[in-house]
Amino acid sequence: MSSKNPAAAGGMRPFDKVLVANRGEIAVRVIQGLRELGLGTVAVHSDADGVALHALIADEAVAIGPAPSSESYLVGSRIIDAALATGAGAIHPGYGFLSENAAFARQVEAAGLVFIGPTAESMEVMGDKLSSRRKMLQSGVPVVPGTESAVRDPQVAIDIAGRIGYPVLLKASAGGGGKGMRVVRAAADMAAALRQTMGEAGKSFGNDAIFVEKYIEDPKHVEVQVLGDGRGEVIHLFERECSVQRRHQKLIEESPSPSLTPALRARICDAAVQTARAVDYRGAGTVEFILAPGGEFYFLEMNTRLQVEHPVTELVTGIDLVHAQVRIARGEGIGLRQQEVGQRGWALEFRVCAEDPARNFAPSIGRIDALTVPLGPGVRLDTGVYEGFEVPIHYDPLLAKLIVWGEDRPRAIARARRVLGEFVLHGPTHNLPFHQWALAQPAFADGSYTTHFLEEAFRADDWLPDLADGDRQALVAAAVLHESGRRVTPAGQGPAAACGDNWRRAARRAMTGGR
Amino acid sequence: MEGHDVLLRKTYTVDVDGQRHQAVLAGDDQGTELRIDGAGPVPARARVVLGGRALLVEVDGRRRLVHLSPTDAAGGQRATLGGRPVRLLAMDELRAQALRDVDASAGSGTLAADIPGLVVEIRVKAGQAVRQGEPLIVVEAMKMQNELAAGIDGIVERVAVTVGQTVNPGDVLVVVSPES
Repeated sequence: MSSKNPAAAGGMRPFDKVLVANRGEIAVRVIQGLRELGLGTVAVHSDADGVALHALIADEAVAIGPAPSSESYLVGSRIIDAALATGAGAIHPGYGFLSENAAFARQVEAAGLVFIGPTAESMEVMGDKLSSRRKMLQSGVPVVPGTESAVRDPQVAIDIAGRIGYPVLLKASAGGGGKGMRVVRAAADMAAALRQTMGEAGKSFGNDAIFVEKYIEDPKHVEVQVLGDGRGEVIHLFERECSVQRRHQKLIEESPSPSLTPALRARICDAAVQTARAVDYRGAGTVEFILAPGGEFYFLEMNTRLQVEHPVTELVTGIDLVHAQVRIARGEGIGLRQQEVGQRGWALEFRVCAEDPARNFAPSIGRIDALTVPLGPGVRLDTGVYEGFEVPIHYDPLLAKLIVWGEDRPRAIARARRVLGEFVLHGPTHNLPFHQWALAQPAFADGSYTTHFLEEAFRADDWLPDLADGDRQALVAAAVLHESGRRVTPAGQGPAAACGDNWRRAARRAMTGGR
Repeated sequence: MEGHDVLLRKTYTVDVDGQRHQAVLAGDDQGTELRIDGAGPVPARARVVLGGRALLVEVDGRRRLVHLSPTDAAGGQRATLGGRPVRLLAMDELRAQALRDVDASAGSGTLAADIPGLVVEIRVKAGQAVRQGEPLIVVEAMKMQNELAAGIDGIVERVAVTVGQTVNPGDVLVVVSPES
């Protein structure tokens, strides 16, 4: 410790050990970042995660309850107790779980610990759709034009639509996940559409209140990474585009966005900074926007935490966001000026999920039998799993994230194709072939893809390309030569022989009618 | 094998991700040849590499690195080539015939789990009439609910699981007997 302690000066408590209140790849990534800063690390884990990677690599690990998250990772009091018991001075929440829970942030601070994230107050403002929208309207950040209160009268809806312009979206105020929504393209259709939407909303949600808002056709999802010191200073780390989504679940993210001109980039990044300033934002956060084809953009929401897709920003800006979070939490400020932040090259992130694209992305679990990660220049893998690990049934299907960097977008894509072509993951069914498919789509290659990309281009029953003849031959040959035992085993290349023996045992059982 | 005595000739049925192929392997002390789906014989060999995790396969002079996992209980194995995972199952004639016999005797009214998970809802009772495609049971895995539907029209003969039970792939959930 230096004699001049900025943490003390800023009213923050100094800490030298941090508890990571999360699991999976993000807990691993945060623990690694903390260790690089010389900080002690404490993992928490459920009973299902005793040998999960994050629980193995931390300096200390504390069991906090049974497998279901509601009895472990979501129980704030157990996590705070674990921090106090191990002498951790701060808690890093990761993403998901308690990361955007204002009550938890308050409890952490009340216990005399530092919450590595924003204040509870800014989480509350941003956590509520209506209050964040109101705050943005006050601060001059564009929001999707629409009504602030429920509409029941068709004439009122027609007047509003005339003012904001067709098409408009009728949206059940109590709805969510795409239910209770209807697009109206002309005044003549309004009365019928309003009646139907109200009827559905009443039936589905027990509340027939309808909002009218501008419908953005062919929208893109563009978000901006910000860092704030909590004292009014905010900088941005440029944008990410995350338009490859399945039901609002992002699958591929990139930075920069292929959809922004330099002028538009400057405006959207400015709007994000304004957003964060409006709540005196502290820490790392993300401001999400909908981008229309004409270049208009509208505030969607602010995520008051580290994002899953933060690595693409790290690769393009060269800034470690976990380190920045810790700096800010110690009261040392952002440690960077806006003009020091630049974008260099292009990064793509692919979420490696245990789910089956051919079966409507149904989750899959099981033991990781093989995991061969093709590294090389510009390749990063953030993983929460390892060979031999049993993927538990209780949590998110995200196993790992593959992030690649290239000097420009075509080179980043070429690198991604190379890496995906060398990646081996045996065990649960996973979505790596989906990523190969996505990279081969014209709409992805030219950057024109929108959030409707999957609906428009992906057919669950017809997406996997046929195997090339040479590949098919090689697979047949591999199967036959393996099964027949007609393969050469050079010295020291043992275990495959055992596989053959297993097969012969199984075959014998089958032939003799045994089980 | 021109000019050599054939020491081995064996026919295999090979399933590559559900697509059937026939392969005839012929070998002697000089090497092996493979005929796939009736095409002309091509020299084929494989070397176990990467500590037993892969085969370096050479067919007709072109090589491929095929990653293989150990054989599973059903006799198949996972393989990856060019980042593409596939399931391989190679069977000699005896085994192929045994499998055909099993297929023929299986009733299609048996609904089995296809993923491991937790039974969270059962929508039918024994004796109830169901239609093909009607969801009978909900299995939750990783926070996602998966509806499993009847394979045939018929009467529920029995429900083999209870709500709250953990199931594994292959576990029988509901048996439907066809309407007569």
